[in-house]
Amino acid sequence: MKDRYYAGFMTQRPAFFTEFSKGLSRIRRRFLVVLTDLFALMYLWTLASYCVNDFFYHVRNFTSLPWWVMLIVAVEVAAFWEAFGVSIGMRLLGLRLRPIEEHRLGQHVVRYILWHISPLFLFRLLWKSDAVPWHESVSGLKTVRASEIAMTPRPWYTRSWSVAAVLIMLLSLGAAMLITKVDFYALSTGAPKMMPLWRGLVSPNWALLGEGVRLLIVTVFMALMATIFAVIIAVPLSFFAARNLMHGVVGQAVYIIVRTIADIMRSLNVIIWAIVFIVWVRAGAFSGMLALFVQATANLIKLYSERLESIDPGPPEAIRATGGNRLQVVIFGVIPQIVNPYLSFTLYQWDINVRMSTIIGLVGGGGIGQLLFQYMRIWDYRSAGMMLLLITIIVWAIDYMSSRLRARLN
Amino acid sequence: MADQLVVEHLTKIYERGDILALDDISFSVVKGEFLVVIGLSGSGKSTLLRCINRLIEPTQGKVYFDGVDVTAASGGELRRLRRKMGMIYQQFNLVKRSSVLTNVLAGRLGYVNPWMSAVHRFPREDIEMGLKNLERVGISDQAYTRADNLSGGQQQRVGIARALMQEPELLMADEPVSALDPATSHSVMKYLEQMNQEDGVTVITSLHFLSLARRYGTRILALKDGKIVFEGLPSEIDEARFKEIYGEEAEHVEVR
Ligand SMILES: Nc1ncnc2c1ncn2[C@@H]1O[C@H](COP(=O)(O)OP(=O)(O)O)[C@@H](O)[C@H]1O
Ligand SMILES: [Mg+2]
Repeated sequence: MKDRYYAGFMTQRPAFFTEFSKGLSRIRRRFLVVLTDLFALMYLWTLASYCVNDFFYHVRNFTSLPWWVMLIVAVEVAAFWEAFGVSIGMRLLGLRLRPIEEHRLGQHVVRYILWHISPLFLFRLLWKSDAVPWHESVSGLKTVRASEIAMTPRPWYTRSWSVAAVLIMLLSLGAAMLITKVDFYALSTGAPKMMPLWRGLVSPNWALLGEGVRLLIVTVFMALMATIFAVIIAVPLSFFAARNLMHGVVGQAVYIIVRTIADIMRSLNVIIWAIVFIVWVRAGAFSGMLALFVQATANLIKLYSERLESIDPGPPEAIRATGGNRLQVVIFGVIPQIVNPYLSFTLYQWDINVRMSTIIGLVGGGGIGQLLFQYMRIWDYRSAGMMLLLITIIVWAIDYMSSRLRARLN
Repeated sequence: MADQLVVEHLTKIYERGDILALDDISFSVVKGEFLVVIGLSGSGKSTLLRCINRLIEPTQGKVYFDGVDVTAASGGELRRLRRKMGMIYQQFNLVKRSSVLTNVLAGRLGYVNPWMSAVHRFPREDIEMGLKNLERVGISDQAYTRADNLSGGQQQRVGIARALMQEPELLMADEPVSALDPATSHSVMKYLEQMNQEDGVTVITSLHFLSLARRYGTRILALKDGKIVFEGLPSEIDEARFKEIYGEEAEHVEVR
């Protein structure tokens, strides 16, 4: 019985295709090991040469050699590393060589040399999925799962992969300091220049209170408008972006399209959207609102649809079983589970939007932020201080309100 | 008497993982029977029950309910068939945030005007019927509390009341008592027995424990790896049959 169905179902695809994909999934781990090792080695190389160049020659240059030389060296070192020891990739992906006792140096050399022709092995997989790569079969050193063999504990500095890991960490730290030009000296000598700024901040220009409050209201409503429009668009779209609700070919296609658009919208920073809309509809509160709207829509689609994907499938199933139609399944089985989380996410997004809307002023997106940056630019720190005070108060107040409300909802 | 439910060559293959969950299942159920489906977990009990009302699409085979081909029905016809088959679940499948009464009224969704139900408007008779059914399962005083404030046994009784709202001719229960303690289990099973004997509703239930199956079933169907390995009276299951169904290492566990 079983055989009949399996035979019927599995032999739909051409045999060599199944063989090949089975073979590929078998050697996938070894391939990833090579990639990991290559990446680690190239990374080490770049950072080391950056540090040397910066420190000794005072040039900021990642490497003085052509990339293909680096690549060849890295490939050779990786091959050597994998043939003679436990490379960092083998360690991370849990592979080892066997046998570890009773092996001869010659075996390792053979493995190292034959490793170079292993790409040709891909063709072999076309008709024999369980073939063993030549560098393993000829040398007799097989790649096996780490869990299959016991490892004798050794101190970390005698293991090549852990030495490499430590080197990567140290070099990353060193190079990061050089690249970001960490300068503790400037941090201390520049401090007195801060005095006028501090003074301005503690004695704000109260004459600007009225103007500031007016712009603050603009800011809060920019955020509110953006949130409301975003909710109107994101609530229906979130259903299309939930994998568990989108069945069939058409459903899957819609799911992928909505997800992709939302991801692209989200990956562009809100500042970039502000610049786009300033070009489009001129600088001002409207362009800032549009930028916030795009950002908020994308964010809410993601938050909403992830929530939809994690609902309990039981109630919708029960509604289907009573003979309910699709609309009733959504209204009685899905919506009661998502109302409160949706409200909570919306409040949270409004909170974010208020904070973002002050930043958007930086590029001319209107609201109180725009005034803040204008005063900063003409070194009028007392006026800037007034704006900062107002921003702090409103951001704090809205943060407090939204977190209180959200706590009630959960 | 005529068969109420006929299942012919039912086969289900889950595409994901190429799992053969039901393998050429055929049986029939007479009106008024209390059929118990037993088997180890993973033997296909849930899949079988869900294929009958097509919550899960069968891969092959036919299901006839009162002579109507369920597997060929679509859209409105399928929904009308489903409302004649009540269903209760191991995990109760209630909407936890909604009130008990709302959960119970959901059982009428197959009957009411969809547009009125969309704004949570139910006919007065349905609300009265809901309260009456809650009274029948002994929790009428809880009608307006949130479903997740109830204990497991009470939640399952809400599930039964919801199924009663469908005025079903067939009640399917998927391990209705597996999430409950033994004492509560019996009180829930008693309601199923009552529906079966007083209202003449046919019951098909899957159960984990053979002792419960013997106590309540009029007939037993045993599944193993998606195949029927036994079909007959509860008294016919002897030691050898038991081992065949549950495996060599199995021991009897009694639930009283
Ligand atoms: N949605 C699904 N996708 C893939 N396989 C499933 C799915 N549901 C159940 N199965 C598999 O089908 C078999 C039967 O499952 P099920 O009907 O739940 O058994 P039971 O209710 O007797 O425990 C099991 O092997 C299970 O892993
Ligand atoms: Mg089950």
